[in-house]
This record gives sequence, structure tokens and C-alpha cells, in this order.
Amino acid sequence: MTKKNEQTLNKAFINSIKNFISIVPMILAIIGLIGLFQTHVTDTMLSKLFGYNDFLDVLIGTLTGAISSGNGAISFVIAKGLQAQGVSLYALSAFILAWITLSFIHLPAESSVFGLKFTACRNILTFLTTLIIAYLTVVTMGLFV
Amino acid sequence: MKKLKFKGVKFLAFMIILYALLFIFDFENTFTSLKGALNILWKIAPIFAFVIILTALINYFLKPKQIMKHFGKDSGTKGIIYALFGGILSHGPMYAWYGMLSDMKSHGLKDSLIAIFMYARAVKLPLLPFMIDLFGMTFTVIINVYILIFAVLQGKIMDKLMSKEK
Repeated sequence: MTKKNEQTLNKAFINSIKNFISIVPMILAIIGLIGLFQTHVTDTMLSKLFGYNDFLDVLIGTLTGAISSGNGAISFVIAKGLQAQGVSLYALSAFILAWITLSFIHLPAESSVFGLKFTACRNILTFLTTLIIAYLTVVTMGLFV
Repeated sequence: MKKLKFKGVKFLAFMIILYALLFIFDFENTFTSLKGALNILWKIAPIFAFVIILTALINYFLKPKQIMKHFGKDSGTKGIIYALFGGILSHGPMYAWYGMLSDMKSHGLKDSLIAIFMYARAVKLPLLPFMIDLFGMTFTVIINVYILIFAVLQGKIMDKLMSKEK
């Protein structure tokens, strides 16, 4: 590696570290918020919200998925538990999708990095997409099962 | 050299005040929350290190002109495919990737590709066997195929929505 290349690589690393340091306050804030949510929004609390009708359950699934956070595997386990309680596959699909694609906790951070318009448009689209995919998944499942 | 400009300072100040207040009123649960938060931080620290290295390498190997070519307004289908694969292969929480995406955006990365990347992250490769085990192969395949289709559609719609302001 030439000296010039080495300098360019060093500069790239310094810029990358600086870029990361600049978002550290935001990351710490999000993690702090997730900590609070994980303590106060429990699985039992979430499962008690379901059991009305398919349409309401899908909406509840999407909203609860969006306010929850954590590893996607947790959403699978909760969804499986909900399935055992008789919650529809529409609602479960919406819940899993919202858990992994939507996150209300990330909204302030996302808008501070990508702008309010981007964040609003993307999250509204993701919300609608979740409802559509949940519906399409169950309808398509019906063709195969 | 880039000047340091912190993001989320007010948000962090708010969280510190919130924790301080909650500690007074509900010490036990707040302590559990703080422990949980520190645990998350510990778990995702390696991902941050990975993202820092990846960002540096992207900056080193891809000059702004090349970023524009591969991920900019004329990137076309290739850009979509890169964003899809990037999303599927990326690991860890979304906010760990904000820094890299924001850096690439300042060099010309399209908003629509950011949206595709973010949505394609819903396909969790390491979790697929677990998903199949719990919900079956049919459900897993169908939902993931739809996620990819809608990631691209979302990108197209974001393109229209975001270009309206320019």
C-alpha cells in the first residue's frame, strides 16, 4: 500500500469514527427508551389486547408490533403464543411484520438523521404495507394449504 | 476533515431527565430498564464496530462519484438489487446503520434506496429456520417474498414522494 493510499484509508477511518461519534447521543437515547419499553410493555400485556375481530386484531397487531422492540425472534415467540390463544393469522402476520419493520421508538432518531418528510412518508408507507402484506399472506396461504 | 456535529442531543437530555425522574418514583423498574439498556448496548457494540469499518471501507473504495453511479439517481435496477441484498444481509438494529446511510446519503445515495434497504431488513436470514419451525415453510416463504416485493414498491413510491419537494 502506497503512503498516499494509507493516508486516504486513515482519513476514511477517522471520518467513519467521527460520523459514528456524531450519532452516539441519539443511539444512547434510543437504547435508553428501549430499556424502558422492555420493562414496562410486557408480553402478557400485549396478548391481552387481542381477541376482538380480524380487522381490529390486525390493527392492534400492527400498533403493538410498532411500539414493541427487540430481536425479531421474540415477536415470533409472542405470535406463536397468540396463535395458541386463537388470534387470527392476519393479526399475527401484521404483528410480526410491524415488530420488524416499524418502530415508534426510532422515529425521533430517524427524523433527525433523514428528515421529517422522509421519516413520515416511510413510516406511513410501512404501516400500510404491513396491513396489505398481512392480508395478502393469509390469502395466498389459503391457495396452498 | 469532517466537523463533528452531534445528533439527538436533546433526545438524550430528555431521556436522562426521564430516567432521573423515574428513579425517584420507581427505582426498581427503572434500574431494571437501565440494566436492560446497558445489556443491549453491550450486545450491539460489535455491530457498531462492524458498521464503522464498513463505512470506512466504502469511503475508501467508493468515491462520491462511484456512490452516485451505484446508488445515486441513475443507479436503476442495479441500485435496487444492491439495496435489497444490503438490507437482507445487514445485521443488528436499524439505528446502528443510520450513520453509514447518512454518510452515503451525503454522497448521493437515493432516498428510495434507503427505504428499500430499511424494508428488506425485515427478511431476517438467521431467523428463517426458527420462523419455519414455528409457522411452517409456506407462511415463511410467502411473507418473505411479499416483503421483498413491497420493499421495491415502497422504494418506487418513496422516489415519487421525495422527488416532489425537489
